[in-house]
Amino acid sequence: MTAAAQDAASSHEGNDDHTLEDAHHAEHESTGVDNRKLAMWAFLSSEFLFFGALITNYLLYSSRDFAQGPTPAEIYDIPFTSVSSFVLLMSSLTMVLAHNAVSRGDQGATRTWLLATAMLGSVFLAGQVFEFTEFITLEGMTLRTNPAASAFYVLTGFHGTHVAIGVIMLLALFGLSKRLGGLTDKQFLNLELVGLYWHFVDIIWIVIFTVVYLLTATPAGG
Amino acid sequence: MTQEHEVHHPSPIQYIKIAVGLAVLTAIEVALFYINDSLDLGWINTAALLILAFLKFVIVIGWYMHLRFEKTVVSRFFAFGFILAFTLYAVVLIGFGVMAAKA
Repeated sequence: MTAAAQDAASSHEGNDDHTLEDAHHAEHESTGVDNRKLAMWAFLSSEFLFFGALITNYLLYSSRDFAQGPTPAEIYDIPFTSVSSFVLLMSSLTMVLAHNAVSRGDQGATRTWLLATAMLGSVFLAGQVFEFTEFITLEGMTLRTNPAASAFYVLTGFHGTHVAIGVIMLLALFGLSKRLGGLTDKQFLNLELVGLYWHFVDIIWIVIFTVVYLLTATPAGG
Repeated sequence: MTQEHEVHHPSPIQYIKIAVGLAVLTAIEVALFYINDSLDLGWINTAALLILAFLKFVIVIGWYMHLRFEKTVVSRFFAFGFILAFTLYAVVLIGFGVMAAKA
């Protein structure tokens, strides 16, 4: 066992001390919540405005007719997107299981669930790349085809960017845990913050899947 | 990590049950999409899909993000951004008549 691993193990053995220390620390925050955690919630809250603007932009254009090219609603592959949605939804399960595992001090399970979440996120991203490729090469719908297509690519592209950032953070946590032999109590908050971010990305997709795909897709597209 | 939080957080089995529930809700959404293709349910389809999405949204925030176990100040932070965004963009959409055109 490395020195870092011993530190991680002893950190969990002395959990009560850390719990008291953390609680004591939180008491000194004027809100009673760790400032970093509150900052993450505030950041995620602000992201509603960001994604809300992009979804609204898409909805405004999706209801219009354009002379050039297909609109996204005409060419959606609903069965494929449904599977992608399911994959992202299940990644939220593996993320919360990683959170549960680290709170129990089970470092091996934490790494397994972190890696599983990163893998599921990567599968979702691969699906998005496949979808974009199909739309561009087979359907001829590019970023410049019409405003609805632009709005669609910008919205789903930005969501995909968020997923990609999440995957990088998950892999960084996995690497950190592997290198140190486990995540310490101090690093527990990092995992919690990454978890919040990941679940947020999931709930945004829940909205996108329903509002952008299911509600605007035409029967021919489905 | 506080012991208080750990006591109230769901167990792994409960998390899996929640995930099954989320998967079922997604399956119902997709089924509704195809049913609407055949029967043209109109506003009922729109309302049902929005309610199902909202349910999934609330379940993930409440149980997976543990918001229901957090202090009230956290919920207020989060709700503020959501309500602000929802109200702002609802006004924009109504203003442009998109909702009226779709109904």
